[in-house]
Amino acid sequence: MDSHHDSNLSNSSQVGQPFTRLEDRRHLAGQGGFVADLRLPGIRDVAFLRSSMAHARLGPIAVPADAPAGAVWTAEAFHGLVKPIRAVLDRPAYRPSDQPVMAEGTVRHVGEIVAAVLADNRALAEDLAERLEPAYDPLPAITDPEQALLPESAPLHPGWADNVYMTMGRTTGDFDAMVARADVHVTRHLRMERVAAMPLETRGCVARFDRGSGVLTLWIATQRPHLIRTMLAEQLTGIEERDIRVIAPDVGGGFGGKSNLYPEEILLAAMAMRLPHPVRWIEDRWEHMVSASHSRQHVQTITAHATKEGELLAVDVRFLVDGGAYAMRTSTPAVEANMASSVLPGPYKFQAYRFEATTVATNKTPVGPFRGVGRPAAVFAMERIMEETAAAIGMDPVEFRLRNMIQPEEHPFTTISGLVYDSGDYPSLLTKAAQSIRAPGKGDAPANIAIGIGFGCYTEQTAHGAQEWHRRGSPFVYGFEAARVRIDPSGGVLVSTGIQSHGQGLETSLAQIAGDVLGVSYDRVRVVHGDTELCPYGMGTVASRSLVMAGGAVEGACQRLAAKIRRIAAHNLDCAADDVLLAGGEAQGPGGSIPLDAVARIAYLELQKLPLDVEPALDILYCYRPPVETGAYSSGVHAAKVAVDLDSGHVKILDFVVAEDCGRVINPLIVDGQIAGGVAQGIGQALLEEFQYDDQGQPTKVTLADYLVPGAPELVNVRIIHQETLSPFTVHGAKGLGEGGAIGPPAAVANAVSDALRQFGVDVRRVPIRPEDLWEALRP
Amino acid sequence: MKFPAFDYARPAGLDAALDLLAGEAAVLSGGQSLSPMMGFRVARPEKLVDISRLSALRGAALEPDGTLVIGAAVTHAMIEDGALPGPLGGFLARVAGGIAYRAIRNRGTIGGSLCQADPAADWPCVMSLLDAVLVLRRAGGERQVPVRAFLLGHLMTAIEPGELLTVIRIPPQPGARFGMAKSTRKLGEFAEGIAAACLTPGAARVTLGALEVPPATLAVDPALVTGPQPARLTSSPLYAAVDAALKAADATDPAGYRHHLAVLTGCRALIEAAQP
Amino acid sequence: MTDIAITINGTAWEGTVEPRLSLADLIRGELTLTGTHLGCEHGVCGACNVEVDGVPMRSCLMPAAAADGCAITTIEGQYGEMAERLRAAFTTHHALQCGFCTSGMMATALDILRRGLGRDEATIRRELAGNICRCTGYQGIVAAILHVAQETTP
Repeated sequence: MDSHHDSNLSNSSQVGQPFTRLEDRRHLAGQGGFVADLRLPGIRDVAFLRSSMAHARLGPIAVPADAPAGAVWTAEAFHGLVKPIRAVLDRPAYRPSDQPVMAEGTVRHVGEIVAAVLADNRALAEDLAERLEPAYDPLPAITDPEQALLPESAPLHPGWADNVYMTMGRTTGDFDAMVARADVHVTRHLRMERVAAMPLETRGCVARFDRGSGVLTLWIATQRPHLIRTMLAEQLTGIEERDIRVIAPDVGGGFGGKSNLYPEEILLAAMAMRLPHPVRWIEDRWEHMVSASHSRQHVQTITAHATKEGELLAVDVRFLVDGGAYAMRTSTPAVEANMASSVLPGPYKFQAYRFEATTVATNKTPVGPFRGVGRPAAVFAMERIMEETAAAIGMDPVEFRLRNMIQPEEHPFTTISGLVYDSGDYPSLLTKAAQSIRAPGKGDAPANIAIGIGFGCYTEQTAHGAQEWHRRGSPFVYGFEAARVRIDPSGGVLVSTGIQSHGQGLETSLAQIAGDVLGVSYDRVRVVHGDTELCPYGMGTVASRSLVMAGGAVEGACQRLAAKIRRIAAHNLDCAADDVLLAGGEAQGPGGSIPLDAVARIAYLELQKLPLDVEPALDILYCYRPPVETGAYSSGVHAAKVAVDLDSGHVKILDFVVAEDCGRVINPLIVDGQIAGGVAQGIGQALLEEFQYDDQGQPTKVTLADYLVPGAPELVNVRIIHQETLSPFTVHGAKGLGEGGAIGPPAAVANAVSDALRQFGVDVRRVPIRPEDLWEALRP
Repeated sequence: MKFPAFDYARPAGLDAALDLLAGEAAVLSGGQSLSPMMGFRVARPEKLVDISRLSALRGAALEPDGTLVIGAAVTHAMIEDGALPGPLGGFLARVAGGIAYRAIRNRGTIGGSLCQADPAADWPCVMSLLDAVLVLRRAGGERQVPVRAFLLGHLMTAIEPGELLTVIRIPPQPGARFGMAKSTRKLGEFAEGIAAACLTPGAARVTLGALEVPPATLAVDPALVTGPQPARLTSSPLYAAVDAALKAADATDPAGYRHHLAVLTGCRALIEAAQP
Repeated sequence: MTDIAITINGTAWEGTVEPRLSLADLIRGELTLTGTHLGCEHGVCGACNVEVDGVPMRSCLMPAAAADGCAITTIEGQYGEMAERLRAAFTTHHALQCGFCTSGMMATALDILRRGLGRDEATIRRELAGNICRCTGYQGIVAAILHVAQETTP
C-alpha cells in the first residue's frame, strides 16, 4: 500500500488493521436476526394485491363474499389515517408528485399497491388477495423516457402540463469559444438501462402497537431507521414521533434500495395501530422486482470538444432519466440526473461545460438510489467520450486522460460544475492501473476472440455535510452523526450510533476506532445501531458517509470519555491527567496503573474515589459535524480486460484492476470487500442486469432467472491497488468508499469492449452490453 | 410467494401411483420446475402424486442389445456422478453436470425434465439426438413413444392424463462420438442456444434446442465436421451447412440472433464430437 | 394435512404439515431455525439451501411433506470439522458481508469440499453458480473454500 502522507494519528494500533469482523460469528452460526426471523405472539401476515396494469383507472374492487371481516383493506380504509407521500426538493424547477400510499382512482405502474389482505399466514393472505377483482379501465402507458417527452403523451399526474419532474441546465465557461477552438468534436448517444439494487434479502416490515404504552414499534429492513421514523410521524395521524420506535435489525443488504420511505411501511404502521395483534409483511421476490425502487435508466447525448494535441476544451451533455411513476421520498427521481450532471467532470479539468438534466415520469416502478447514484451513468458517459475522443485524435487513451487530469497539487480544486475536491492524486491512480492491467500484454487469442482493455476513472463525493445537502435543495439537510459511548461498571464498552450497518462491517470498524482511543481491544467494544430507542439520532447508512461521519462521532465521543478516564485515573494514581496513557485495557500513569474496569467502577459505584469536580458515570453523547462540509472525495480508476467472442457476441471479463484512494483505510479487509462487492454489481450492470417492459408497460423480467445478477463464474478476482491520500477535512483522513466499486465498471467494461472491437468499427453505446447487439453490429 | 393449496400423496409403489394418477392428479418428481410455477401460481394442481422415491423409477441398466434404460426419477446428480452404465454414461454424465446447479441437480430428475418440455432444457435436446423412446405407463397399460413424437412444443408433450413417464430407453449408438454446446448469459441459467451432436462413421447429426418448436435434428455432411475449422466459425462451410439445414427446417426467424446461436452451438457441438 | 417424521440437525421430529408448506417454511417456522433464509422462493438464489440426506437442496422448492423420512441439516446443525474450518475461513477471508446468503453458501461450500472440487478457483466458481451473493463479489467465498481445500488435502 502506498501512503502519500504520514498518519495524523498517534497511538493507532488498531485502525488500519485487517481485523476479522465481529459480525461474522452470529451469521456463520445461523443466529443473525433479520426482520423475517422475528417471532411475535399473535402475529398475522399481510399480502398486497398489486396492480397488474401499468396505467389504468381503478374502479371498485370486488371482494369475495366469503372473505373474513376485516381481512381486506382498500384505500378507503386508510382515509384519514395516512397522508400521501410527497417528496420535495427545494428547487424551483422541481415538480413534486404525490405517491399514494395505496392506489385510489388510478394506478400508474405494475406493482402499485391496490389492496392489503390480512390473514393468519402469508399463504392464506395470498389466497384471498388473488381472488380480489379490481376493475381496471386501461389507459395508454408511457414506457420509455423519450416517449414521455412526446407531445402526444398525456401527463400522468393531475395538474401537470407534461411529464417532466425536473429539467435544469447550465453553461459554464465560454462554451462557444471553446467549441470554435477545438479541432475534434466527438458525439455519442448512449443508454444505461434500468437496474435495481437487488439485495438478497427482500424488503420487510413488522409492526406492533402497544396499547398500554401507546408505543408503535416497527421492525423494518431499512438503511435509515431514524429518518423513516421522522417521516412516519409525518405520514401517520394520531401518533407522535416520540411514540414511534423503528428498529432495523440485521438487514440483508441495501445498496440504496432500502433507503427511501416505502408505502408498505406506512400501511403496516396504520394497520397495527388499529389491530390488537402485530402484523407482518415480508416482500417476495416478484414484489421486489416491481415495487422496490429501480435505478439509473439514462438516455444520454455527450459531445467532447478537444484539440488535436489532446487538450479537452469543453463537454456538452444531456441526461434524460426515466424517473418512473412517482417521486420517492426522500431521494426524488431527480437525484439521478442532477447528480450525474454535477459529477460528470470527474477527475478532469476543462474550460467549458454545458449540461441539461431532465427527469420524466413514466408508467414504471419509481426510481431511487442505488450504489453510486448518478455517478455510474456520468462516468459511463464521460469515460466513453474520453475513449472515443482519444481514438479520434489518435492518442493513447491513457495519455489523453493523463493530459487532462487535475494534478494533486491543485487541491483543493473547484470543478467546472462547482464541486470542491479536497485531495487526491488521479494521475498516479491511472498510471498504476494502466501498468497493472497492461503488464501481461493482451496475450495470444484465437481469431474468434478479440481482447480489449478499458478504463473508468472517477471521483466519488462522500460524507458531504450540510452545505452540500442544502445546495442540492434537500428538504432534510443532513450533516452530522452522533455516537453515544458508555463504559459499564465492569469496563465493557458500548457504542451506539445512528448509522445502520447492513454488511459494511461498521460494528467492527467503529470498534477499532473506539478501541484505539480507549486503549482496549476492538473485540471488547460492542457497537449498537439500528434502533431509534437505543441509539442517538442519525441519518443512516447512505451516501458513503457512515465510516467518516459515525467514525468522527465515535472518535470524538471516545476522546471526551478518555479525558474523563484520565482525570479519574490521575486522581487515584496521584499524577497529572496528561501523564495518563490509555492502553492495554488500563489507565497507565508514570508510577502505576489502574485497569479500565476499576476506573469504571469508581465512576459508578465507588464515588468516594471520584474527584468532586468530575461528573459520575462514563457515558457520553457526541455529535460530529465536519468543519468543512463539501465532502471528502475518494477517487479511483477501474481497468478491465475483456474477451469478446466474435462469433457469439459474448463478453468475458479476463482481468479487473481497481486503483483506489479512499484516504485512510480503517480496516483493509472490509475496504477490499466493499470494493470487490461494488465491482460485482457494476459488472452486472455492464453485462447482465436490466429491467425491460413491453409496450403495455408490463415488466418482462420479474424473476432472478431473467433479471440476471452476476454469479461467481461471471466474475474474476478483483486486483486492488491502494493509495492513501488523507482527506484534510475528516477526523481520520478517511474518505467514504461504499459506492466507488460500482461506479467504474460500466465505463471500464464498455471501453474494453470498444477497444476490442475498434478494428471492426464497433463501439459500445449501451449497457448492459448484449451479445445480440454486438453480433448484430459485427455481422458482415 | 407461497404455493396454492394442494393434496399430496406419496404412494409406496408404481401401481399405487398409477391408480392415483388415474383420478385427476399431477406428478411431482423433483419439482424443480413445477415448484416455482406453483409459487408464481401459474400452475395449481389440486393433487400431487410424489413419484420421486419410487425405486422402480430410480435405477438404470444396460440391456443385452446395448439399449440403455433409465428410470424417470433418476436425478441429474445421479447421472452426473456416473449412475449410467455403458458407453453413453460418460457423455450423459457431462450433460447432466451442465444442468442448472448442483442443488437443483440433486433433486431434479431426467423424467421431470422431459415432461416439463422446456425447449431450452438439456434432456429434451439430448434425448432427441439419441432417438430415445419413452415408456408411458397408465393403470393397466403402457405405450412407447419416440421422444420426437413426445415433445410437441414449448412446455407441451404427448403425455395424457393418467399417464406416467416411467422409463427412458436409449438405443445403442455403435461407434458414435458425442458433443454438446450451450450458450447462456449466465452459467446455469436458461440456455439461449443449445445443441447436441453425434458423429458416427459416415454420418453426422445435430439436434438444436432452445427454439420455439421441439428440438430439431439435422443431418450434416460429416466431411464438413471432421476437417480443420477456421477460427471464425461463422465463416466456415460447416456453419453454412447447419444454417441452411435449420432454415430448411423453418424453425426460427433466420435473420435473428437465436437462429444464429442455434447454428453456432450446433457447429460447436459437432466439432466437439469430432475431437479425438 | 400430512404426517411426517424427519431428523432435523440430528434430532427426530414428528408433526403434521399442510402439503403446501415448503421445507424452508417448516424449518423457519415451526422448527424456529431461522438461519435458513428465503431470497427468491423460486430456486435461483440458493439462500435456502439445506442438506437433505447429506446433499444440498433448495428448501424453498421442496414441500415439507416430500422430506418425510429425510435427515435435514441446517446451518445451525453444521458442526463437523470441515464446517468449523469453513467458518474460520469465511471470517479470515471476509466471505460474508450482510450474512443473508451465508447459510446457503455454507451448505454449497461444504458440498464442494466433500466432492473434492475445492482445488482450483475456476471449479469453485463454477460450483458456486447456484448461490447468489450480492455483497462480496464472491472473492472471499472462493478464497475461503480454496483455503479449506488446501488445508484438508494431504
